[in-house]
Parts: sequence; structure tokens; C-alpha cells
Amino acid sequence: MKWPKLRAIGPSLWGIGVFLLVLGGLAPWIPRFPLTILVNLLIFAALAYSLNFITGLTGYVNFGHVVFMAVGAYTLGYTVGTIRLHPLGGVALGGLMALVLALGLGAVTLRFRGVYFAIASLVTPLAGLNIVLVLPALGGGQGILLNIGFDPLSWFYTIWAIIATEVGLTYWITHGRLGYGIRAIKSDEDAAKSLGVNAPRLKLFLFALSGLFAGATGGVYAWTTSGVFPEAAFDLTFSLRMLAMIVIGGMGTLLGPLIGAIAVYLPSRFFLTIFIGTESIIIGLVVIVIALFVPGGIVGTLRKYVPELRRILE
Amino acid sequence: MLRLDGVQAGYDGTQVLWDVTLAAEKGAMTVLIGPNGAGKSTTLKVINGLVRPTRGHVVFQGEDITRTPAHERPGKGIAACPEGRRLFPLLTTEGNLRLGAYPKGARSSADETLTYVYELFPRLRERARVKAGRLSGGEQQMVGIGRALMSKPSILVLDEPSLGLAPKLVSEIFVKIRELREAGLTVLMVEQNAYAALRIADFGYVMQNGHVVKSGPPNQLLDLEELRKAYFAIP
Amino acid sequence: MSRTLEASEIHKYFGGVKAVQGVSLTLETARIIGLIGPNGSGKSTLLNVIAGIEKPTKGTVTVDGRRVDGWPAHRMVELGVAKTHQIPKPFLGMTCRENVAVAMMYGSRREGEPASALEESRRILAMVGLDRRADAPASNLTVQERKRLEFARVLATGAGLVLLDEIFAGLSPDELRDAIALFARVQKEQGFGALVVEHVMRAVMILSDFVVVIEEGRKIAEGSPKEVVEDPAVIEAYLGSEATNVTP
Ligand SMILES: Nc1ncnc2c1ncn2[C@@H]1O[C@H](COP(=O)(O)OP(=O)(O)OP(=O)(O)O)[C@@H](O)[C@H]1O
Ligand SMILES: Nc1ncnc2c1ncn2[C@@H]1O[C@H](COP(=O)(O)OP(=O)(O)OP(=O)(O)O)[C@@H](O)[C@H]1O
Ligand SMILES: [Mg+2]
Ligand SMILES: [Mg+2]
Repeated sequence: MKWPKLRAIGPSLWGIGVFLLVLGGLAPWIPRFPLTILVNLLIFAALAYSLNFITGLTGYVNFGHVVFMAVGAYTLGYTVGTIRLHPLGGVALGGLMALVLALGLGAVTLRFRGVYFAIASLVTPLAGLNIVLVLPALGGGQGILLNIGFDPLSWFYTIWAIIATEVGLTYWITHGRLGYGIRAIKSDEDAAKSLGVNAPRLKLFLFALSGLFAGATGGVYAWTTSGVFPEAAFDLTFSLRMLAMIVIGGMGTLLGPLIGAIAVYLPSRFFLTIFIGTESIIIGLVVIVIALFVPGGIVGTLRKYVPELRRILE
Repeated sequence: MLRLDGVQAGYDGTQVLWDVTLAAEKGAMTVLIGPNGAGKSTTLKVINGLVRPTRGHVVFQGEDITRTPAHERPGKGIAACPEGRRLFPLLTTEGNLRLGAYPKGARSSADETLTYVYELFPRLRERARVKAGRLSGGEQQMVGIGRALMSKPSILVLDEPSLGLAPKLVSEIFVKIRELREAGLTVLMVEQNAYAALRIADFGYVMQNGHVVKSGPPNQLLDLEELRKAYFAIP
Repeated sequence: MSRTLEASEIHKYFGGVKAVQGVSLTLETARIIGLIGPNGSGKSTLLNVIAGIEKPTKGTVTVDGRRVDGWPAHRMVELGVAKTHQIPKPFLGMTCRENVAVAMMYGSRREGEPASALEESRRILAMVGLDRRADAPASNLTVQERKRLEFARVLATGAGLVLLDEIFAGLSPDELRDAIALFARVQKEQGFGALVVEHVMRAVMILSDFVVVIEEGRKIAEGSPKEVVEDPAVIEAYLGSEATNVTP
């Protein structure tokens, strides 16, 4: 397909593009502490974008998304820890491993529809955790500790590049022929097939993309924490948080994951430390309220009620 | 029995019904006809409570039911087979039918009515244990009509009952509906098969663009000769 | 290019339910075959098997001599065989134009650009008389409009052999006359071959070149429309003695 003409690119993409460029330009001057917070925020945004590929675009709710992140994290932990690979190589390999896993997993689980897919996806983090716990090479219950130093600027540019790629890809997919096929699948998969949409292949493609970016981001995450710990890496509530971000921001939209990441991460970083342990409850409540009363999330709802914004927000 | 008074209604801001006034008399069979998109199905949805009128009233047996929620209406004696059937796809044929007998007055006689429905549609007896979502189009239509009958209604509201039924069954079902009316049931029916419907009706309304444009006994309503020509122009 | 689809000895069982039991028929470019039979006799199931939506339990389907039974639906569409759904399945969140554009881009035409597909969709919607609704969300359509949209989408795939499941149901006499005329015109223009499942006998009589009648999954008669409606077995099983009075 042709590349979209510059003039035809929508305001949302311009907006995100400018936002990222400004961030990228300012980063070297941001003090270390705020920079690490920013990196954490961007990690969440990158995860939200990665989940958006499958759950946002097709409506297949994946509770097991954290597995791809864990695979990426462990890949980085192992390659950097034992063969002294540069962390960037670990990130790339992490994405690759998660992509391979997504292809294998998706070939099986994407045959299930709706709630059955969601249930199947719930099982994967548990399975993953139990496998890792018995593998001595991955540190078993101890996990892997790395000694790779503190380098927020490198983290920043890596995660920055991941998000930029995700946003570009999301835009490209949703604005072309593929976008129509995907919307058709989301609306009625059987009808889509009987009009020529190769639904299994398209879903697998999106699932693989979603794995790839979650894996790479998992690598960055392990890099920033200098290690991987099994209970944390396969933590289901992490999946829930990513789901919360795209639900709150707006499923399947271009801006939604970013807005959702900000909406979920910042409050939990600054306020919820006061109520330790209640964070997931609060997030859960917010998600329920949003799902019940504003199913389009922030972006979808603004688009619905403020027609002037429809052209601008995607 | 049932009266609509100056009803206006629509969907999400687009108005569909502009001024609908009609009545279904007790013990009579009333049909509502009109072209595609005239608002016939919407009128029936107002009656069974799926669409709220923005103006006007719905009065049933002297009681204003304009604001009565949809789920309370079967209990009052209004049974509908809506457009698109709305079956429970994961329940069996029989499960769907039995759910129709949910209103209090209908529960005790459920077995009896079920037998009647199976006599009306023998095909359904054969398919009793099959999930409704797997039935053929016509079979689903039969379940929709049967389920409405199961509630032992005082008024039966049908949206295009002949849709998707084989010709033989269409004539049978019109005969049966006529029998039900003879036994005292009030019937209000939308039907595109206008000639067949008017033949068994007592009174008819014609709708166009959200208005009732004509009404009267069937012989006044349509020039039967004209209609006959329209139907029998088989080369 | 003239094309031939042959379904031979098709069987389809669902557990113990023998929906189709050995039906054969041939569909060719520019010919219209009517398929009639009582409710639940297996007509839609046969269409689903041919369109690749269901796999046959037994029997073969060939297109221009090539075995295609068991192919998934999207490959059949690529090959130029597409079907409407008896109970319409529009993409509810999309406009009519977008619905048609999907078929345009993924059907055998493989129109690659959304912009041109959307533009072309207008023309196809006009063909089926839905141009007024082009930019309405499909969720706002009435049942009859949804049936038209089904037909428009199948046309948009560019299929040379189309399978139509009750697209004429629920029309008033006038509308039916218009719809039949419109269909005949479009068919002539596009030259596709059609397998038409229909209970509206008027449409079957006027449009079909040949009619196949099935009951309980088996063929009980075939021939010209006139031959078939005079066949006592067909009257007994399907039309009913009074049929000519009520459903013309
Ligand atoms: N769910 C809906 N949302 C929005 N608009 C709708 C909806 N259902 C129907 N409409 C619109 O309301 C109008 C009347 O529809 P209605 O279904 O009442 O017509 P009808 O007379 O039953 O037609 P038909 O003969 O096609 O069944 C149509 O223009 C239709 O597009
Ligand atoms: N998945 C399924 N499981 C069980 N039974 C099924 C399934 N699909 C179809 N059937 C049954 O197979 C029979 C044939 O159904 P089909 O839809 O082909 O009928 P049809 O001839 O199209 O009827 P109609 O004219 O009513 O649309 C029906 O009795 C139906 O209940
Ligand atoms: Mg209607
Ligand atoms: Mg059928």
C-alpha cells in the first residue's frame, strides 16, 4: 500500500508526533528522578499500545498479555546476564521471542471466540509462572539479578522509539485496507469471513504485533529494574492495568492508550501510595464505571458528544 | 382494547413516527400495512415497550401504559413476536417456548399451550431439543410466534409472521390466526403479505412515512382487484 | 469468462440431524437456479456448504473442474463465489458505504485503496436502491434494508457466482415487483450466475431458469418453474393446495 500523504495525516498523529519529538528533544535536560518517572509512564503507554493491537482493534480481550512482557523481560535478563549481550540486543531479542510465542499461542487460542478466548488467555500467565519456577537457568523462584547500571536516558530513548513505532503502525493499520477488515472482524467475524476477509490470519498478525511490542517493552522494563522476578513478571494485575488503560483511554483508538496510560499511571504513582494495596480495587472500580457509563472511554466519548472533535481525535 | 394516541417516537434523535393514532378493538383482528421503512415495526415496538414515545399515549384496557417498562407488559396480557425474532440462541426450542409462559397467568397452563404450539408447528416438536440459534430461519420464526402464544395473551402482536415461512405454512398460519381470533383473541399484525392479511382482517391501517394515512375495513381499504393484479401477474 | 460450479452428492450432518442428504446441482454464469423446499429442508445448509462456511460431511464441490470443498469461506470469495446471510449480518458499527467497501477490498476485486473502494461503494448501493442510506450506520437499517445491504456486499465482492438466501422476503407487492425488476436488471448487467433460495414464489417463478426442490435434505423435483409448481409432490410438500390464493 501507498504511504499516506503528509497532508492527509490526521491531527491526532501530528499531535502525538509533536509530543514525542518535544519529549525526545527535552529528555537530556530532564533531571534523573523525573526522567525515571517519565520512563515508567512511557513503559505503561507502550504496553497499552501493544495490547491495543489485539484487544482494542479486534475486541479479543487478552488477560494474559503480561506473559509477553515477562518473556521479553526474561530474555533480556538471561542474555544480558549470562552472555553479556548489550541491553538493546536483549530488548530486540525479547521482542522476537515474544513474537514467536504469540504466533504459537495465537494459532491455538485465537480459534476461541469472545469469552472463551478471554478465559483461555487467563491461563497463560499461570502456566508461564509455573514453567519459569522450575527452570534453573532462569533463576527459579529467585529470578535474575543484573548488574547493568543506571542509565535513564538510554531507557528513555529505547522506549521512546518503541512507542513511536507502535503509534505509526497503529495509524498505518487503521487507515488502510487492513483497518476495514479488522473493523469487520470486530463487528461480525463470520460475516467478515464470508466477504473474503482472512480472519484467522489477520488476527494472528495483530496478536503477533501485540506480542512483539509487549516483549520489547518487557525487556526495557527488566533493564530499568536491573532484574526479573517471577511473581512480578507474571503478575495478572499487570494485565488488568493494561486493560484498564485502553478501556479508560478508548479501545482501538490512536490517542486512547497514551491518554489511558497517563490517566492510570500518574494517579497511582502520586496518590495511591497513600492507600497501598487498594490500588487495584480503585482501578477496578474505575474500569467498571467506565465500561458501564462511558463504554467508548475518554476518546470514544469525546468523539461521540463533541462532533467538532471527531476529525481531530482518533 | 389497545389504543395509540398521537404517538411520536424514534431512535437516538431521528424521529420515525410523527403522529400515529390507531386502535385494536377487542376480539378483532387489526392489520397494519405500508411500505418499507414506514414505521410499522417501530409502532409495534412502542406497543411492547422497546421504544419510548416522545409524545402521545399508549392505552391498554383503559390503563395508560406509556411509561410501563417492557418487561411488565407481557404480564398485563400483551404478547409480541418482534421483528428479528429475538430468541435466546443458547436455549433449546422448548426452552424458548417455555420462557414465553413466564407471566403468572400463563404458567399453570404452560403444558397445554405447548401442546397447542406443537400442533400448530409440528416441525418444532421434532426440533424441541435443538438450540434455537441453530434452527433454520423459518423454524426460528415459528418459535417466535409460538413463544408469543405461550404467554396466554389478551392481545397478540405480530410483526410479519409469514416472513421466511414456506407457502404451505403461510396459508396454514393465517388460518390458525383466524381461528385464534374466532376464539376471542385480539390480534394486531403487521404484514407485507397484504392481500392474505386483509382477507382475514376486520380492520386495517395503512402507514406511510410515520403517519397513518388510511384506515377502514379491508374492502374499503384497498381495491382488491388492483391488489389481485399486483399479485397474480405471473407471466 | 464463463464459470461452472458443481455440487455433487452433498451430505451435511449435524450430529444426528441429517440436514442435507445427497443433493447435486450445477450453477453456471448468467443462469439463475431457484432452490425451494419446506422450512428446515436444508437449503441454507446447502448454501453454507457451497460457500465454504460449513464443510460437507460427504460429497464434492468443484469450480471449473477444480475441487474446492472444504475450502474456507474467504478463499471461496477470492475464487468468486459469495453468499448472503438469510438473517442479515451487517457490520453494525459501520456505515452502509463502509460495509460495502469491506467486500470491495477483500472480495475477488481486491480493490486496495479505501478511498476508491468507498467511492465505488456508492455506485453499488445505488444499484440496489440503498443510495439514500449510504452514510447511515448499518444499525439504523430496517430488516429489509439490511437484506439489500447483504446483496450489495455480495455484488461488491465481484463474485461471478452468487448464492442468495431469501433476499426477497418481507416486501409489499409493489416493492416486490420493483425488487424483481431491479434484480433482473442488475443480473443482466453483471452477468453473474445465481443460486436463489426463496419462499416468495413470485420471485422464483419470474427469475429462475431452472428450479430444484428439496425436502428433508433430498431432491424431490427439478425442472422449469412451471413444471415444478405443477408437480403434485411439490404441491403436497411445499406449496399447499391453497397456496396460489395466499402467496402468489
Ligand atoms: N434501531 C434503529 N435505529 C435507528 N433507526 C432505525 C432503527 N430501526 C429502524 N430505524 C429507522 O426507522 C424507520 C422506520 O423503521 P421501521 O422498522 O419501523 O419500518 P417498517 O415500516 O417496519 O419497515 P419494514 O417494512 O422494512 O419492516 C426507518 O427509516 C429505519 O431506518
Ligand atoms: N448447527 C446445527 N446443529 C443442529 N441442527 C442444525 C444446525 N444447523 C442447521 N440445523 C438443522 O438443519 C435443518 C436444515 O436447516 P436449514 O437452515 O438448511 O433449513 P432451510 O431449508 O434453509 O430452512 P428455512 O427455509 O426455514 O430457512 C434444520 O432443521 C436445522 O434446525
Ligand atoms: Mg418492519
Ligand atoms: Mg434457510
